[in-house]
Amino acid sequence: MPERINGEIGLVLHSHPYKETSLLIEAFTRHHGRISLMARGARRPHSALKAKLLPFQPLAFDWFGKGPLYTLHAVEWQGDGRSLAGAALMCGFYLNELLMRLLPPGDPHEALYDQYRATLQELADGLEAEPVLRRFELALLTELGYAQTLTELAGSGQKVEPDARYGYALDLGVTAPSASGPVFAGKTLLDMAAGDYRDPRTLAESKLLMRQLLAHYLGDKPLATRQLLIDLQKI
Amino acid sequence: MKLPGTLEALIDALRVLPGVGPKSAARMAYHLMQRDRVGAQRLAACLTTALDKLHHCERCNNFSETPVCELCANPRRDARLLCVVEMPVDLNRMEETQAYKGLYFVLMGRLSPLDGIGPREIGLERLLQRAQDGVTQEVVLATNYTAEGEATAHYLSELLKARGLKVSRIARGIPAGGELEYVDAMTIAQAFTDRRAL
Repeated sequence: MPERINGEIGLVLHSHPYKETSLLIEAFTRHHGRISLMARGARRPHSALKAKLLPFQPLAFDWFGKGPLYTLHAVEWQGDGRSLAGAALMCGFYLNELLMRLLPPGDPHEALYDQYRATLQELADGLEAEPVLRRFELALLTELGYAQTLTELAGSGQKVEPDARYGYALDLGVTAPSASGPVFAGKTLLDMAAGDYRDPRTLAESKLLMRQLLAHYLGDKPLATRQLLIDLQKI
Repeated sequence: MKLPGTLEALIDALRVLPGVGPKSAARMAYHLMQRDRVGAQRLAACLTTALDKLHHCERCNNFSETPVCELCANPRRDARLLCVVEMPVDLNRMEETQAYKGLYFVLMGRLSPLDGIGPREIGLERLLQRAQDGVTQEVVLATNYTAEGEATAHYLSELLKARGLKVSRIARGIPAGGELEYVDAMTIAQAFTDRRAL
């Protein structure tokens, strides 16, 4: 049944040219999750729509039609003027890439949406990027059911001890340290569960664990944002 | 109905143009074949010549028939200033203002990771070489005020500053003749953030 939605809050993840003068918007909205919106005529010169459809800006969308591709009717900026700048922009692209690659369209993920908004705010406020990104990655994987509990051993339910060493199996969670895979300090796992990344070892080991998990769920295609930063480093 | 193979190939070829879908391509193909065969001849000839003669200027990366384009070769331009733009159309707009007398570098794109466009796809390393010619003193970044244009400006400024160059960014804010009453909220907010002391 055709539906009409007014004033739904969300953000643009990415936009592509669509047909002759339109834009195809990938948006992440609070109540409708990831959706595709067609912005008719947004690529015409002097289109008022295009200038508003920027990523990282909270917007209120009006749309109608039958899914999966809805027609964007109007959009209203809901921001407060604080926006991503400099290196934080690339972190924002990274978040958007993760969401577009991992988040299935059409399912509401309100908690994740709120976390995404908060993460963008923290990046805009100039917080150190690495802990902010690690917290978001874990929240994303947990929301999608891809991350196991980090505070208990798989199977036995035994509590993770800060001073012990552990392994991590994708489908099980925390295990005894394995000879083949990477080994993590118990404190790292507990810190991650608590969102505390002050310990440099936690930061280093959590990056390793998150990369291992993300690599599995992202498949063979590497992340373009990561590749771009690697390429920039070489210059 | 099955179209003749050559017509189908023509329609398909016209679709390489940005913003041209199957319908527009078919309309163009029928127009060229039916109503304007002379125009079609000219188009074909111009395309062949342009492909043969047009290259990127060694200095500014813009299209040129000569190794160094007319603008870069003009001794009256201020070689101490180098303005970086995304596309040739952006250069043309800057020129129309007549406010800028320096030289240019055209990136032919912008960093856009989600579209797979990285430093290798735009002329980033060539720009760094160009800016270190010993004459350039200030690089003016005139990439667009989109998320991608901003990210491009950020990384360019880091790379250029590391090489001892002075870097500036074109300002954004209330348009000339703009009245706050009619300017969109995002622009006013950004103009406020970027306000300057008097």
